Amino acid sequence: MSEAHAHDLPFWRKYVFSVDHKVIGIQYTITAMLFLFLGFSLVSIMRYQLAYPGRDIPVIGKLLGGSIVGQTETGYVLTGDGYNALGAMHGTIMIFLGVVPLAVGGFGNFVLPLQLGAPDMAFPKLNMASYWSFFAGGVVMLASFFVKGGAANSGWTSYPPLADIATTGQTMWLFGMVLLITSSLLGSINFIVTTVQVRAKGLSFFRFPFFVWAQLVTSFLLLLAFPPLEAAGVLQLMDRLADTSFFLPSGLVVSGEVQTQISGGGSPLLWQHLFWFLAHPEVYVLILPALGIVGEVIANNTRKPLWGYKSLVFATIFLGFMSFIVWAHHMFMTGMGQTLSTFFQATTMIISVPSVIILTCMIISLWGAAIRYTVPMLFALAFLPMFAIGGLTGLPLGLTTSDIQLHDTYYVIGHFHYVVAPGTLFALFAGVYYWFPKATGRKMSDFLGKLHFWPSFIFINGVFLPMFFIGMAGVLRRQFDQTEQLHGAAVQGLTVMASWSAWLLLISQLPFIFNFFWSIFRGQKVGANPWEATTLEWFAPSPPPHGNFATTPVVYCGPYEYSVPGQKSDFCPQNVALEA
Amino acid sequence: MLAATQYGNYGLWSPPMVSVHGDGVDSLITTLHWFMFLLFVPWAIFFVYCLVRFRRRAGHTASYTLPKAKISKYGEIAVVIFEVILLVGFSVPVWAEYRTRPPVREDRLEIRMVAQQFQWNIHYAGPDGRFGRTSAEFISDVNAIGLDESDPAAADDVQTINDFHLPVGKDIYVRLTSMDVVHSFSIPTMRVKQDVIPGMEIPVWFKIKEDATSENLRAEMTRAYPIGRVRWDRLRHHIATEDYKDRTGQVLLAKGGSLGGTFKAGAELIDKLRQAGVAEISMQPRHPLELVCAQLCGNSHFTMKAQLVTHTPEGFDEWIAEQSKEVTFDEDF
Repeated sequence: MSEAHAHDLPFWRKYVFSVDHKVIGIQYTITAMLFLFLGFSLVSIMRYQLAYPGRDIPVIGKLLGGSIVGQTETGYVLTGDGYNALGAMHGTIMIFLGVVPLAVGGFGNFVLPLQLGAPDMAFPKLNMASYWSFFAGGVVMLASFFVKGGAANSGWTSYPPLADIATTGQTMWLFGMVLLITSSLLGSINFIVTTVQVRAKGLSFFRFPFFVWAQLVTSFLLLLAFPPLEAAGVLQLMDRLADTSFFLPSGLVVSGEVQTQISGGGSPLLWQHLFWFLAHPEVYVLILPALGIVGEVIANNTRKPLWGYKSLVFATIFLGFMSFIVWAHHMFMTGMGQTLSTFFQATTMIISVPSVIILTCMIISLWGAAIRYTVPMLFALAFLPMFAIGGLTGLPLGLTTSDIQLHDTYYVIGHFHYVVAPGTLFALFAGVYYWFPKATGRKMSDFLGKLHFWPSFIFINGVFLPMFFIGMAGVLRRQFDQTEQLHGAAVQGLTVMASWSAWLLLISQLPFIFNFFWSIFRGQKVGANPWEATTLEWFAPSPPPHGNFATTPVVYCGPYEYSVPGQKSDFCPQNVALEA
Repeated sequence: MLAATQYGNYGLWSPPMVSVHGDGVDSLITTLHWFMFLLFVPWAIFFVYCLVRFRRRAGHTASYTLPKAKISKYGEIAVVIFEVILLVGFSVPVWAEYRTRPPVREDRLEIRMVAQQFQWNIHYAGPDGRFGRTSAEFISDVNAIGLDESDPAAADDVQTINDFHLPVGKDIYVRLTSMDVVHSFSIPTMRVKQDVIPGMEIPVWFKIKEDATSENLRAEMTRAYPIGRVRWDRLRHHIATEDYKDRTGQVLLAKGGSLGGTFKAGAELIDKLRQAGVAEISMQPRHPLELVCAQLCGNSHFTMKAQLVTHTPEGFDEWIAEQSKEVTFDEDF
C-alpha cells in the first residue's frame, strides 16, 4: 500500500481500526502502559492494608466502592474479598494486560517489521484483530470490577475449586482470558510468518538483531503454550456455567452444605497442570523480549558488538524449549513423588544454564566498551543485576527441599518481581526511551529520564529486597494481614518499609508520564538515527511512513557492527556495505 | 532471665526450627544463599568495574575485538557442577526422607486432618488407634468432620478445631484432605508444607525434636522488649511474663495478659506503660508454634490457623485421655 493511499484513509481507519503495524504497536503500547499504571495502583491500595492492617484507607477509601471496601465508624477499610480481588487483578493486569502486550504487542509490532526491513506484518488484518481482541479482553476484565461480588478473587492462578465456586467476576475473568489468549495466538502466528517470510534481502537468520530472535522465540512460546490454558479456561467456564466437573471432585462440602449439584469426578490438579504448562513459558514470554531490548540498547551504547551473539541466540532457543518442561516446579507441594520431582528439579537446574549464558554475554559485552550513559542505557544496565538477583533467587525455589519452606511465601514474590519488575519493566522503559524518537521524531527529556530512573531504581529495590527476608521468615503470600500469624508479626516492620517504597515508586513514575506526553509535542526534534545505531529501523524516516522504507533495504552485514577498525564512523549500518 | 537460644526466635531470618528433618532443609537454604552470594558479589564487582573503566570519555574508544573470555565457560561449568551437587547431595536425600519413606505404622501417631474454609478439623483415633467412620451426612457445627457416632471405632475418637496437639520425639503421620477448596498444611517452624486437595488424601510425616515442648519453647522465646520498641503489630500474640503497674500500684498489664485485641487498644496500653515509667516488658508467645494455611482459600484465608501444642509423649497421652468426643475449640484463637 502506498503512502499516498494511506493518507486517503479516514481517521478511524488510519488511527483506530488501523492495519499499520506501527499504529497497532503504538495502540498496544499506550493501552498496556495504562493497564500497567492501573495494576500498580491496585497494588498500592493493597500495600496500605499490608502495612497498616485493618486501618481506614486515607483519602481514597471513600472512592473505592463495591465489595472492595467496607465502611467503619471512622472511614473505609479494605475487605478480605476486596484484597483478594485486587491481588488477583493486579497479577492478571500486570502480566496479561500490561507487560506481555507492551513487550510483544507494543515493541514487537512497532520494531520487528522495521528491523526486518519489511513494509508491514505478513497479515495486517490479523494484526488488527489481535489488538482488538486484546482490547476487548481488557474491557471485560475492567468491567468485572462492577459486577455483583466484584472482580475475580481467587488469585491470578484461579485454582479450582475456589475459582469454580467464586462470584461472577471469575466468569468475566475467564471470558477475558479467552479473548487475551486469542489475541496472543493471532499475534504470534503473525510474528513468526513475518520474521521468516517478510525480511529484507540479505537479512539471514544470523544477521537478525537479537531483539528479532527474542521475539521469534517468544512467539513460539505463545503459540504452543497458550492453547492449553485457553482450553482449561473454557473447561472452567463449563464447570461454572454448565455444571460440568472437569476440576471438581465428588463430595465437596462448602460452608457446611453438601454440593449435591456437582457431578464430581474431576481433578483440581488438572487445572494446575494446564495452568502452569502455560504460566511457566509465560515467564519467558515476559523475559525474552526484555532481553532483546537490553541487547539492542547495550550494543548501541557500548559502541561494540554484543559478545557471543551466536551463544545468545542458541541460549535463547534452548531457554524457550526448556521452558516447556519445568512447569511442575510450581507444584512441588501438591504431593509429588521422588521420580517426578527429581525430573523437574533437574530441568529447572538445566534452564538456569542458558540464563547464565545470556547474562554472561551481556556483561562481557561491557568489556572494552565506550559506554554512553544515556537514559535507555541506565535502564538496560540496571536490568542486569536485577535480573541476576531474580534468577539466582529462583534456585532455592527450584529445589524441592528448600522449596518446602519457601514455597508460597514472600520469597517467591520477591523472586519473580525481581525478574519482572526491576528486570523486565526496566528493560521496557529502556525500550520506550530508546525507540521513542523513531515513533515520534522527538527525543524524551534526559533530565526527566534520569529523574525517573534513579528514584525508581532505589525504591523498586526498597519494595522487593525486604520480601526475601519476609519470605525467609515464613510469611505467606496472599495474606490479608500477616500479623495474624506469629512469624508474620515479627517482620511487620519490613512490610511497612516495602509499602512506603511502593508508594514512593509510584510517585517516581510521574516524571516519566509527564516526559512521555510532553515529549510527543515538545521534545527535542531529532533525525532518523539519533542514537547512531546500526539496525534497519533507524534508516526509515522518523516517524516511518506507511510502508516504512522509501526503498526496500538490502542487508550487507551483521546487526552490531560498531567501532569496526578502518571505518569512517564508529557504526556501520546493516544496509551499507563495509568499506574495504 | 532469658533462656539460651536453641531453637531460635521469630525475626529476620528463618523462624525457629523444631523438626528432625528440618535441619536438612535449613542446611540447603543456607548453602544455596552462600552459593548465590559467592556468585553475585564477584559478578557485581566485575560489573561495576566495567561501568567505571569502560565509560565513554575523551581519548577512549570502544574495541571492536571481542575478548576471548574463557572464564565465562569455566564459570558456567562450575555453576552446573555446583547445581548437580545441590540437587543430588542435598535436595534429593532430604526429599526422599520427606516424601517417600513414611514411618512404619506401628511406630507412628496417625492423625486425620480435614481442612475447610477457614479452619483445621483434627481427628485423633484415640487410645484404640482406630478411626471412626466419617460421612458428609453427619457434618454439623459440633461434628465438623462428620464422625459417625454409631461406629464403635468412633467411641474414643477425639476431634478438635484449630487446636493441634502433638507429642515430641515420635513419628507423626498426618492424613490430609479438604472438604471444599485447596488448602495447604504449613508449619513454618517444622519446615513442613503440603497442599491439601479435595478429592485426595495426601499424607505428610515428620518428627518433632525431643525437647521442643511448648513449655520449653515459650521459655526460650521470652524476651525483654524496650518500651520504645514495643509495637502492637509485632507483639499482638505475646503475653507478659510478669505484672506491670503504674505509680499508684494499679496493674496495667497483668502476667499472662496481652497488649489487647486491636491496634488502638494496644497503642493506648503501650502509651500508659510508657507514661508509668516502664522501661521494658518481658513477653513470650502465647502459643509458640502455629499451623497455617499456605494456599489462598477465600476471604478469611489469613485467619486459617491452628495453635500447635507440643507435649512430652506422656503429656500427650494424658491430654488424649482427658479429651471427650466433644469438639474442643479455643475461641480466643
